[in-house]
Formats: sequence, structure tokens, C-alpha cells
Amino acid sequence: MKKSAFIILFVLSAAVWAYFTLTAPARQKLVLTGSSTVAPLAAEIGRLFESQYPGVRIDVQTGGSSRGVKDARMELADIGMASRTLKATESDLLSFTIALDGISIILNRDNPITALNKQQIIDIYTGKIVNWQAVGGSKAPITVVNKAEGHSTLELFLHYLGLKNTQVKPQVVIGDNQQGIKTVAGNINAIGYVSIGAAEYEAMHGTAIKLLPLNGIPASVKNVQNQSFPLSRPLNLITKKQPTGIIKAFIDFARSPEVNPIIEAQYFVPVAN
Amino acid sequence: MLKNRLATLLIWLSVILISAVFVVLVLDLVRHGWAELSLAYLVDAPLDAGRGGGIGPIMVSTGLILALTISVAAPLSLATAVFLTEFSSKNSVFSGIIKRSLDVLASVPSIVFGLFGNAFFCVYLGLGFSILSGGLTLACMVLPILIRTFSEGLRAAPDEYRLAAAALGLNRAAALRHFLLPTATPALIAGLMLAIGRAIAETAALIFTSGYVDRMPDSLMDSGRALSIHIYDLSMNVAGGDSHANSAALILISLLFMINTLSSKLAYHWMHKRITCL
Repeated sequence: MKKSAFIILFVLSAAVWAYFTLTAPARQKLVLTGSSTVAPLAAEIGRLFESQYPGVRIDVQTGGSSRGVKDARMELADIGMASRTLKATESDLLSFTIALDGISIILNRDNPITALNKQQIIDIYTGKIVNWQAVGGSKAPITVVNKAEGHSTLELFLHYLGLKNTQVKPQVVIGDNQQGIKTVAGNINAIGYVSIGAAEYEAMHGTAIKLLPLNGIPASVKNVQNQSFPLSRPLNLITKKQPTGIIKAFIDFARSPEVNPIIEAQYFVPVAN
Repeated sequence: MLKNRLATLLIWLSVILISAVFVVLVLDLVRHGWAELSLAYLVDAPLDAGRGGGIGPIMVSTGLILALTISVAAPLSLATAVFLTEFSSKNSVFSGIIKRSLDVLASVPSIVFGLFGNAFFCVYLGLGFSILSGGLTLACMVLPILIRTFSEGLRAAPDEYRLAAAALGLNRAAALRHFLLPTATPALIAGLMLAIGRAIAETAALIFTSGYVDRMPDSLMDSGRALSIHIYDLSMNVAGGDSHANSAALILISLLFMINTLSSKLAYHWMHKRITCL
């Protein structure tokens, strides 16, 4: 009785194994790694691409822009993903912009502040201003939400403010966009910065956050698209060599107007016309 | 008398508090995730970065990773546990070293296993982002739990069994098969449950090994997204993914619940059969 149960189990697992090894078609695999902001977008573009090129699999992995750049350089990935422009030290690599994204300062919806100027933001993030009263708000301590190292949102934000990460005095360090939105939505005294597309979506759907304008320009997808919003960034695909073959096909596809609906569905801003 | 009443009250309060945590958690998940649940949700592929569609491929990947983890880790752990309890003296230096390294291994954070798995399985052994890499990494991670619970279970078997078996002229392997392992079955199952629970809830060790791809895996060499990574990504990285994250979490909890119930039933059944047929 027991023996037969084991035999059945063995045969069953052998069958599962055989199914998975024998039916696996020989496919060309394209591996993308990098920015967690780009990853869901790239995965969706990959899905559409696969439907047009049945012999190809697009595998998207996350890990942050730094990883995308590193993996592309070491050729651990066919294509790297980075949500920023390449730095001077990365000029050995090639980048292809597939979409734009803006970064918005977000506050809790119930925070009376409606605008902050650049100097005030700098002072808040460096810990010179620690109470909302100092910028015209209610008498409450400010909770500074910063991004973790390796995220390009952090690099872009710091670059805009002209700060180094060691100068920032955060109370909370977060990873991805949604975590930042949730932190600020749950804490009336928090200030954070996240991707505009995601923030705009959440604010429209009743999450308790609001987007602050920068230099008087409202933080919106529209203003990123017309490039008037000061804090925006490109979402890039990165390769080490001039792309050829299927890599080139994928990059061209990701930059074609055909994917614009996908880009908009992920709350980013298309570049192709 | 008053002291007794007070103690009873405190005990009841702690019981209620502990169950309340679980009940509130489940109710919250049900409230936010129930609406999306359906049979289609269980079998469909995710759409629009997981905001739409289902979790079919993710369930398959999770199942494959889990099966691989347990089928690699369980035999290894059982063998190690048997060696530690039955074939080595309590004070030997070698088993001391094994036990000490297991203790250290057990306290290593899972992200470290993830980085190790990525460096060793994915890059060094060239397995890439694959279900195989993920399963092997998790196997390394659950080894200490399995070995610890397995050897506790074996050690709990009374020494009289060993002596009686020796007196009957049974060799050690036979004693192990007919007396010690059946007695330890509940502990073995409990260990497996702990390991499965830890493995199914793991994100950090998997994100850099089995990866992020939410497509149906063709083979064990394909990258496949685990359920916990899907939940993490939907709630932390995808705007508007919350309701689906809740549904997926609800599925994860139900899975754990089912595995637990089934295994405790099985454990009882097996032990009962083994002992009565003696």
C-alpha cells in the first residue's frame, strides 16, 4: 500500500520533470536587468514583443539602475535598464530612451503647505528645517522620507538639489515608489519624492497624498511630456555594444509608437511620435 | 483564589490578543482582496504588470520552486539528522562543528542567501535567473530548520526503542526504519511545514535567483516569479496594484493553511498506521 503510493509519487514527479524538460522549445532568451521603475514597463513591452516574435523570450529582472548599468557592462544581461541618463564614467555604454518620467515632491493631503521653494526643500532634506512651522505650516516635526542607495530617483533628486546623500538627514529610507507613497499617505508630517506617474495615479484614486509644484510648475505627466517640469528623467535601455539582431529588434520596438499605450498604462510619458 | 483568577484572565487575554492579530490580518486581506478572487484569477496570466489578469504562471513557478527546495533539502537534512543523532557521539568534535555551523546558518538573513545564490548558482554555476537557482538557494536556506527539527524528533524517540531493537538483533538501519523514523514522523512533518512556510514566504532570497519574470515557465531553467515576490512588487512597485496584491496574499495564506492542515492529518494517519502494524 505504502510502496505503491511512493511509486505513484515517483512516476508522477518523473512525468512532471519530463514534461517540463521535453516540451521546452528551443527559444532565444533576452535578459534585461536593472531599474525597478522600468522593470514592469519592460515586462509589458516584452509581452507584446513576444506575441510578434514567437521564438523569443524576454526575461525582465529588477535590482536598481546601478545593477542595470553594471550587468550591461559585464554582459550579464543583454540589455540593462536605468531610470536616468548615463554618467560621464559610463560613456562606454550606449543608452536608448524609451520613455520619460518626472519626480514629484509629495506631502500628505492634509498638510496645509501648498508649495515649497528649492531652498526650503534643501533645508528640510539636510535637517536645517525640522518643523513645518518654519515653512508656514502647522507646529509639527517633519518626517523626511528618502530613497535607498542605488535608486536613480535618489540620484536625480539629489542632483537637482545639488546635495550629496551623506548630507541628507532622513527619518525613513524607502525602496520603491509605492512604499514612498504609502509612507507619506500614512503620516501627515511626512515629505517624500516619487515618480510623478505613480503619484498622480494614486492622488487621483483617493490616496491621501498631494503633489507639490516645482518653480511654480505643477507636477503632472503633461508637464513632463512638454519638458517644462524641471525634475524629470529618461527611462533608458542600456547596451554595451551597438545592438544587433534580436536585441536591436527589441530596442527598436520599445521606441516605436506601437508601445505608447503600454507606456501610458504604466503612468510614464512616451517619447515616440 | 484572586491570584488564580487573575492568571486565568491574563492567559485568556493573551490568547485573544494573539488570535485577534491573525483574525484582523485575514479579515483585512479578505476585505480588500476578495472582490478579485475567482477561478480565472488562479489560472490566468497576469496583465498590465499584475494590475489585471491572474496569477496562474506565478502559482506554477511557486509550486516548482517549493517542490525543488523540499526534494533537495529534505533527504539531505534527514541524512544529516540521522548522522547527528544516531551515528555520532554527542561530544564528537565533528558533530559539534556541524551543529555550530547550522546555528550560524540559521541566523543568516535571507537576503544574504539571495546574494550568495545569485553569485554561486546564477553566475558561477551559470544557471542564470532560473527556478533551479531559486529552489537550490531556498534549499540552502531551509537546511538548518529541517536538520534541527528532524534531529529533535529523532532524539525524542526513547532510548528503550534503540535498546530493544538491539536486543532483538536488529541492525541500526532496521531500527531506524521500523521504530525511530515512525516515532519521529510528527516531528519530521512539523519540520517540513516550517521549511515550506519559510520557503513560500520568501522574497529576498528569490528576487535575485528565481527572478521577476511572470510568464509560465517552460522548464526549470526559466526564470519564474514566486507568489511572495508578486505580492511585494504589486504593493511596493506597481501603482494601483494593491487590490491584486491583497488577493494574492489571501491565496498565499490559504495555501499555507491548507498545507498545514493536510500535513498534520497525514502525520497522524502515518504514525497511527505504523505503530499499530508493529
